[in-house]
Amino acid sequence: MKHTLIRRLPIVDRRTTLRWLFAGLAAGQLAACGELGGEFSWSPPEALTGKGYGTDPDLLDPKTPWPLTLTAAELKTVGALVDLILPADGDWPSASAAGVPLFIDEWVSAPYPSQQEQRGLILPGLAWLDNEARKGGEPSFAEASPEVRRGILDRVAFKDRIPPELETAGRFFSRMRALTIGAYYTTAEGWKEIGYPGNRPASGPYEGPSSEAMSHLRSAVEAMGLTLVSG
Amino acid sequence: MVDQTTEPYDAVVVGSGAGGAMAAYVLTKAGASVLMLEAGRDYSPDEAPMLNLSRDAPLRGTGTPDKPFGFYDAIVDGGWEVPDEPYSKAEGSDFMWFRSRMLGGRTNHWGRNSFRMGPYDFKPYTRDGLGVDWPISYEDISPWYDRTERIVGVYGANLGLENHPDSGPGVLQPPPAMRVWELFLKAGGDALGVPVVPARRAILTRKIDEREACYWASPCGRGCAIGAAFQTTTSLIPWAKATGKLTVQTGAMVYEVMLDASGKASGVRYIDKATGAHREARGRVVILAASTGETARILLNSQPNGRSEGLANSSGQLGRNLMDTVGSNISAYFPALEGRPVYNEDGAMGLHAYIPFWLYREQAAGRLDFPRGYHVEIGGGFREPGLGGYGDLDGYGSDLRRAVRGRYGAQIGLTQRGEMIPNEKSFCTIDPDLKDRHGIPVLKFSFGWSEHELKQVAHFQSAMRDLVDRLGGTILGDVPSPDKAISVGGEIIHEVGTARMGAKASASVVDGFNRTWDVDNLYLTDGSVFASKAHKNPTLTIMALAMRSADHIADRLRMGEL
Repeated sequence: MKHTLIRRLPIVDRRTTLRWLFAGLAAGQLAACGELGGEFSWSPPEALTGKGYGTDPDLLDPKTPWPLTLTAAELKTVGALVDLILPADGDWPSASAAGVPLFIDEWVSAPYPSQQEQRGLILPGLAWLDNEARKGGEPSFAEASPEVRRGILDRVAFKDRIPPELETAGRFFSRMRALTIGAYYTTAEGWKEIGYPGNRPASGPYEGPSSEAMSHLRSAVEAMGLTLVSG
Repeated sequence: MVDQTTEPYDAVVVGSGAGGAMAAYVLTKAGASVLMLEAGRDYSPDEAPMLNLSRDAPLRGTGTPDKPFGFYDAIVDGGWEVPDEPYSKAEGSDFMWFRSRMLGGRTNHWGRNSFRMGPYDFKPYTRDGLGVDWPISYEDISPWYDRTERIVGVYGANLGLENHPDSGPGVLQPPPAMRVWELFLKAGGDALGVPVVPARRAILTRKIDEREACYWASPCGRGCAIGAAFQTTTSLIPWAKATGKLTVQTGAMVYEVMLDASGKASGVRYIDKATGAHREARGRVVILAASTGETARILLNSQPNGRSEGLANSSGQLGRNLMDTVGSNISAYFPALEGRPVYNEDGAMGLHAYIPFWLYREQAAGRLDFPRGYHVEIGGGFREPGLGGYGDLDGYGSDLRRAVRGRYGAQIGLTQRGEMIPNEKSFCTIDPDLKDRHGIPVLKFSFGWSEHELKQVAHFQSAMRDLVDRLGGTILGDVPSPDKAISVGGEIIHEVGTARMGAKASASVVDGFNRTWDVDNLYLTDGSVFASKAHKNPTLTIMALAMRSADHIADRLRMGEL
């Protein structure tokens, strides 16, 4: 599905935009880029093809065979975005400090249909963030003031408040939010924050719920007028 | 060009999964020599990445077309697609066929849920006039369930539930304690008359023989090197090998059963995948356990004297009656579980408890609008966080962090697993045009659900809504209409029925001992023989039937009948 936001300039796809960008660079007209801040197209980039890890990879020594493809500028945008999604909080690191941008790069660079479909949403989405920032007079999303960045996200991050013309941007943000949470809470820091206590071999019968866990459950169940019978 | 193996075996077994390995085990124990042919590569559970971390795997272990159940899943060279081994679907039909190409087959990664079929399940036609009865009754197979459960190692409890038979004394291993979210669901279920009871799974909670008890970590689908979660590569196959009577040939893609001049099976033809050579293997008895799809494919492709209907198909039932389990899901969030004290809830990873079908009386009395039952598999707890399940969260920043933390351990997934009745729309044939990379004609699937299954989904949705409501929960996402909510045929990977068992040669492919009606020394010991598809997961029943069949074959070998 193609959603094109028509502003002041004719519809162009992202590759055309890039061609303009490079043409502009060649002509020494870098400043003109800022002028592009008005129009935007969500045309997906060409999907990456290449080999995945195959149907019989070495499971004991996992390797990611595909090359990472995000540009330094895109990674900066990703970093700024994921740190708004999950900023540092008390003892817990920010998403970028936990390595989320690298994961996003691995994800959109993976040569599988689902990841490539998401790449088709995410890459234009990163460009959209920059475009919005430029409309606010900033050089890019990553370099924009926190107020401008939040202003952009506030329009796409709350499901009931996304204007119809930003539906695609909303989907992009929602995807990035889910990926950021998934990437973050699968790290050692994420496990610690969320309190995942598992993946620990033990001997003897399964211990089952702790006494604290059982008292909490009992109160919760009784508050609903139900009876707790131990299994 | 065909190479002939010189040595004739007592039995040639095609397949090394649940049915093939059980047959090979029973026969070798009885002193018979067995050649096991497996299309995939050799596999050792030592390859299982039991304690590897998802974060070290590509895409954090998320499933891809290469590894649909995740990077660390045990399945080798398989999934919904096998490289260069396509299958096709009839126009307007959807079907998903999960295959593997490895020793032990899909037993290396299955869910290990092991529910016995009950008396009603073997006589469904008698009960409601739909489908067909099995030629055997629950009483016939009950002792074989006991024997199978004893050697496999199944945890569970004898509860005296209707149509959910108890096991013999001392057969079951103790079930692991229910976890908080399971007890929570049980409290709600108790109030509504919905049972939440200990599940039955092929996982050791006590050490037996060389296999260790579960150590309460490591997803079972990765394969279980310590032998706690049952798979044939840690049990039946090594035990059969230890008799000195088993020869295993991997990379052997069987495509045809050979007949001798008298019409008896003399062996099989296969392609040695390493060299591409066509070979023959000979045996006094041929046992196909290549999987419901592949067994039908081999028989349909075996066309002695140009018989285009295939082998063992005088009934015309071969390939027909294809069934899968009815599947659908509801996920809910329970505020009452928020902020509960953390402890290790990995446990045996899968079900400690489940909801067995509880409405047989109402069904028999005509008070339900669907004829067959379902059970509900439940998932929740403080599980290892993954990439999915955050789609409904809103906003960003510190509020979002709090929401993720609050949600953790407060979500429960309710999964329907229901009975499908065989129908005219669901079958497989040989595709007239398409061949795999070995030149073997491939299967073409047709599949369709009927109103029976859709109404069953509607009942599940409404029953689960009541349960969620009683526990103050919120269903996450929309609940689609039953025709949208129901799984794709084959998706639950319980496909059975393509060579069904029956009392008459005119209406079935095999008799009550899994022997083809048309060929006296040709047996089928996989899911293809199922005459009905109860809501109970099929693997345990495949093994019990295979054990019973192999015992019968061993008797016949001993008596010189074969």
